[in-house]
Amino acid sequence: MTLKSKLAGSVALGLLAFGTMAVQAEDRTITVWAGGTGETGIYRVDAIKMAAELLQREYALSGKDIKINIETRTWSGWDDFKQAVTLAAESGSAPNIIVSGHEDIGPWAQAGILRPIEDYVDFDAWPLNQLYPNLIDVASYEGQIWGLPQDAEARAFYFSRNHMKAIGYSDADLDALPERVLSGEYTLYSMLDDVKKMQDEGVVEPGNGFAPRVSNGPDYWQFYQSFGGEMVDPETGKLVLDKQALTGMYQFFVDAVDKGVVSPTYLGRDFDDWHRGVVSDRYGAWHGGTFHVKQWESQFGLEDFFGTMQATLIPSGGEGGRANSITHPLVYLLSSEGSEEDAELSAELVTIASEPRINVLHAVKSAHLAIGTAEADIPLYANDRWLGFASKNLLPHANAIPNSADFGAYWTAMFKGLEASWTHTTSVEDAVKNVEAEAVSALGDKIVVR
Amino acid sequence: MRARPYGLGFAFLGPSLVLLILFFFAPVLLTGVFAFTNMSTATGIGSGYYTVTPSLLRDLKAEGVGQAADELSQGAFVVSPETIEAARAAGVDGRFVDEIAAKLQGRSFENSSEFQRALKDLDSRPRAIRALKLAMDPFTASVLNVRYDTRDAAFSAISAAAPSLDADAVNTVVNRAYTGWVFTPSNFAALVSKPDTWRVVANTIAYVGATLAFNVLVGLFLAIATFYLPRSSASFFNALWLLPRITPVVLYAIMWKWFTWDTGFIAVIARDLGLPSFNYMKGSVASAWTIVILLNGFIGASFGMILFSGSLRAIPMQQLWASEVDGANRWQQITRIILPQMRWPILFVTSYQTLSLLSSYETIWLTTNGGPGNTTTVWALEAFRTALSNYTGNLQYGLGSAMALILVAVGLVLSIAYLFLFKFDDLISSPKIEF
Repeated sequence: MTLKSKLAGSVALGLLAFGTMAVQAEDRTITVWAGGTGETGIYRVDAIKMAAELLQREYALSGKDIKINIETRTWSGWDDFKQAVTLAAESGSAPNIIVSGHEDIGPWAQAGILRPIEDYVDFDAWPLNQLYPNLIDVASYEGQIWGLPQDAEARAFYFSRNHMKAIGYSDADLDALPERVLSGEYTLYSMLDDVKKMQDEGVVEPGNGFAPRVSNGPDYWQFYQSFGGEMVDPETGKLVLDKQALTGMYQFFVDAVDKGVVSPTYLGRDFDDWHRGVVSDRYGAWHGGTFHVKQWESQFGLEDFFGTMQATLIPSGGEGGRANSITHPLVYLLSSEGSEEDAELSAELVTIASEPRINVLHAVKSAHLAIGTAEADIPLYANDRWLGFASKNLLPHANAIPNSADFGAYWTAMFKGLEASWTHTTSVEDAVKNVEAEAVSALGDKIVVR
Repeated sequence: MRARPYGLGFAFLGPSLVLLILFFFAPVLLTGVFAFTNMSTATGIGSGYYTVTPSLLRDLKAEGVGQAADELSQGAFVVSPETIEAARAAGVDGRFVDEIAAKLQGRSFENSSEFQRALKDLDSRPRAIRALKLAMDPFTASVLNVRYDTRDAAFSAISAAAPSLDADAVNTVVNRAYTGWVFTPSNFAALVSKPDTWRVVANTIAYVGATLAFNVLVGLFLAIATFYLPRSSASFFNALWLLPRITPVVLYAIMWKWFTWDTGFIAVIARDLGLPSFNYMKGSVASAWTIVILLNGFIGASFGMILFSGSLRAIPMQQLWASEVDGANRWQQITRIILPQMRWPILFVTSYQTLSLLSSYETIWLTTNGGPGNTTTVWALEAFRTALSNYTGNLQYGLGSAMALILVAVGLVLSIAYLFLFKFDDLISSPKIEF
């Protein structure tokens, strides 16, 4: 054999080997869509990318050459995201992994958009065996676990320390405020009196005393609970419309308008303007998520949260009510789109993404709360003062909105009633009647009116 | 006599007919069908399936069908000779099935995690969790949360799981277990009974009426005013008024937002003049309505202006010259010569704009978004939100389609009313002169 032919043989062999390798390497693509995800929440999808890297290494150890491509898409809001997911699922082009609020499990599971995640993962094995059981309950519907908790949070009432001090509160008074709110001594009406005083004394501008959320959100159910409302009957599992609580809630916002501490046309304002107002100490009191704190710090330049703001639970509305908070965990969901293999791979990815070391990055970056015991022990999380405060003072008193295929219709009616009474388009009494009529016409006997 | 070549005409019409069927008749037909269903996010658009859920069992119990509920909620997993055979038939690894038969025979498990833990103690279990879960399926004894694609499959499974139920009772359970949509006329009843409906109707009448009046009157005024201007100046003003129409609608809406923002042009001017300075788009109901009507009005006025200008030029100039010889002033020319001859374009603009305003929501959606509160929400916007876009993601395709169908019906009725009102027959009557 000549040198030339030997060389040719080697090249051919090399090419053959390369060709075989190329055939063995397998490319897999998993798509992930996340709603309500802005700059600080980007680890919702980045965690999946990190999980893919880890999983590729695990595969390599067992001799599998698999390249996992993660295609991500995020929406900062909810309307467009939910519309996109729903319509994509109907047209057979939904992503493999959906990151959404737990309340979507009900309708999406019924519509056949989702696969129950419990069929694909092992809740007895690491890292899922250290997840908080109440979060797994939140991700469950009709006795099946449909999602993996992606984060947790609580929603808080915030006071401007400067403005409260200007009307006579001391630092010690402000530090004791969370306790007074919890005990029910300091109510929503106490807050209205305080912010009115701020306006009367020229501490804040008229109409800026109280700055609630500018748009629809789970937050408004907190005020319903403040007046003693229950969203779901624990015994029958049916949705509950408590007319007295709803009246109390609507009347509270109408009273706030009548006192001049918030505008009758407030709803629908710009969210970014609200953030800027909060950070520039424009308002006396407001409410939002625990996660907003990181948004104020990273996007709007807040420097000293604890020096300028005081957080509490949402105060009680008075007798029969209770101080409360709502947690609105997001969940990783598996869509019914794609092959069985894609679903298995997606399940492996969301399981790895739930690793405490990975999830803690999301928690700390976006001021969300830990999803499991091991994560809460990681120093990065445990040493974060705000997360510690929220975990201790807010989360134990927080509950979630119900997982029900029918809750959306009730929620939409509730917010319409709030808008109508807030803008004085209808009286509180009529607004409550309208909600009752709309909810009963949409849900029939699936909702109990009290 | 040679036959007329009809075929060629149809060939030319063909593509447009296909487009008409695809993009007009089919959507209208589908809207009509959807309107009589309870289709929503939860039911899905395709066909549903049958599943007995814990909620259904709870409801059955509350309705006094307790025995059926009890039977249907019996033990979830059973290891029996039958289920062992089913597992073998389903292709579960033989060694694993043997071990299950040897160690778990005769046992039943209340839920999947209990059964899964028992299986995990077996040496020959599959290592992959998904494979283990799939191996569990043949041992399923309960119908709870099992999806059946067909009615027959659900019927036989439920009959087998609850032998005490007669066929009628099983049928009732099967009907209740269906997750898909069904035909129902209830959307229309729901719309009539909701007080909110009438508020939206009132908003829509106010919006269409005011914007239409603005469009037609301003369009007419502009056309007549520019008619009496020299050609060059007229062209300039025409072009200026066309800007709102030729600007992309999103950009146009954003410009209005800037214009009316808290620190926008109007707020600054108002402050300098000592007037109330606030966000004019969202800060008060009256200003929000004014903005909504104006921004739609400016788009529509230019449309009227173009059509009216064209028809003005079709009026024989001799008539105007003759009137001037007779000593008519401008106002007399407008009321006696111009307007009587513009009945057709005015009819067209009025009816076209009514229909387009009735179904338009995009500028409102992009600007006030129906607010403040829901004070500027019109029918088309409400239908869009109901069917396709809302915060809770509860897309009610059926109810939204019913709203859209009502819009189509109102549009048709109004079109016919306009034809009578403007004596359309007279306009198209045969010419009096024989050619």
